[in-house]
Amino acid sequence: MQPPVIVSCPTIEAESGVSASDDQSDVERVLAGDISAFEGIVRRWQGPLVNLAYRFCHDRGRAEEMAQEAFLRAYRALAQWRKDAVFSTWLFALATNLYRSELRRIPARTVSIEDIPEPADARVSDRALEESTDDRDLAVRRAVGALPSKYREALILFYFHDMDVTTAARSLGLPEGTVKARLFRGREILRSKLPQLLAVPRLKEA
Amino acid sequence: MTRLIEPEDDEMNRILSRKEEILPSSGFTASVMDAVRREAAAPPPIPFPWKRALPVLVAGGFVLVMVFVTLVVAIAQAIRSSATAQFSMSLPSMLAPIFALQGLQRNLGDAAGWSVLALLVAFVSAKLSMRLATGRA
Repeated sequence: MQPPVIVSCPTIEAESGVSASDDQSDVERVLAGDISAFEGIVRRWQGPLVNLAYRFCHDRGRAEEMAQEAFLRAYRALAQWRKDAVFSTWLFALATNLYRSELRRIPARTVSIEDIPEPADARVSDRALEESTDDRDLAVRRAVGALPSKYREALILFYFHDMDVTTAARSLGLPEGTVKARLFRGREILRSKLPQLLAVPRLKEA
Repeated sequence: MTRLIEPEDDEMNRILSRKEEILPSSGFTASVMDAVRREAAAPPPIPFPWKRALPVLVAGGFVLVMVFVTLVVAIAQAIRSSATAQFSMSLPSMLAPIFALQGLQRNLGDAAGWSVLALLVAFVSAKLSMRLATGRA
């Protein structure tokens, strides 16, 4: 087994071009009583927060409701943000915590990992191949949704944060080692449940 | 900041990294800001009236301790009286009714005492909770 490759990774903030100072100045304005400054924070982070919620529940309406609740909780707890951590890290940790407890309260609709159909072996045409790839992707995503919550959450956060274990660990409030172990175990389960799917070479992109 | 990639997981990484981006609906920001404004406009939550509740809690604690002590004393007395009863069984039969009468009187006295205490506790707790609810000092 080859050792893992460690590479540097840009944060969501860097990717989205959001400046940490924008967040800080908006937070200061809100704390000084200017509620309208919170709109800047909502505009900057609504996309990531709604998308993170969507990855947890796969329901657009519910994702928006959960993201709205996350913003409301962030507003209430804004004074508790210690500026030694990046605002987005604090916001994602708060949102992740909320999403996890919401899904424990009302679980997302998932199918058992045993019931996930394997896609048909389609090597007839390009269209069939494309459909097969889509089926495979869907099956893998469904399998992730059917994993036990601790592995599912680690996988969701890891891929949401562009395979950044450090940020995923911060969002989950867990040590990096624990997150790595959960990722490893989660992948093992996926590999054991979907051996054929993950072994299929990707002919389309060759 | 680090990222972890295991080469054999490339396929899984590719599938799971593929972004299924959804855009928040157009009214999302407005809806969040409405909720935030409602939150800001709402009066602050009423703090728990510790000043008023503290005497009640202290009194409640005192009553609990008293009940516990009374219970312990009652149990001790019961043990003692059972020992006396064993002693009385060994006495001549003409003395037995006298001991039985004494026991009955003590039992009646205990029951009356407990009833009065229960009524008193119920009255005090009802009075105090009404005072707390109406907010009158």
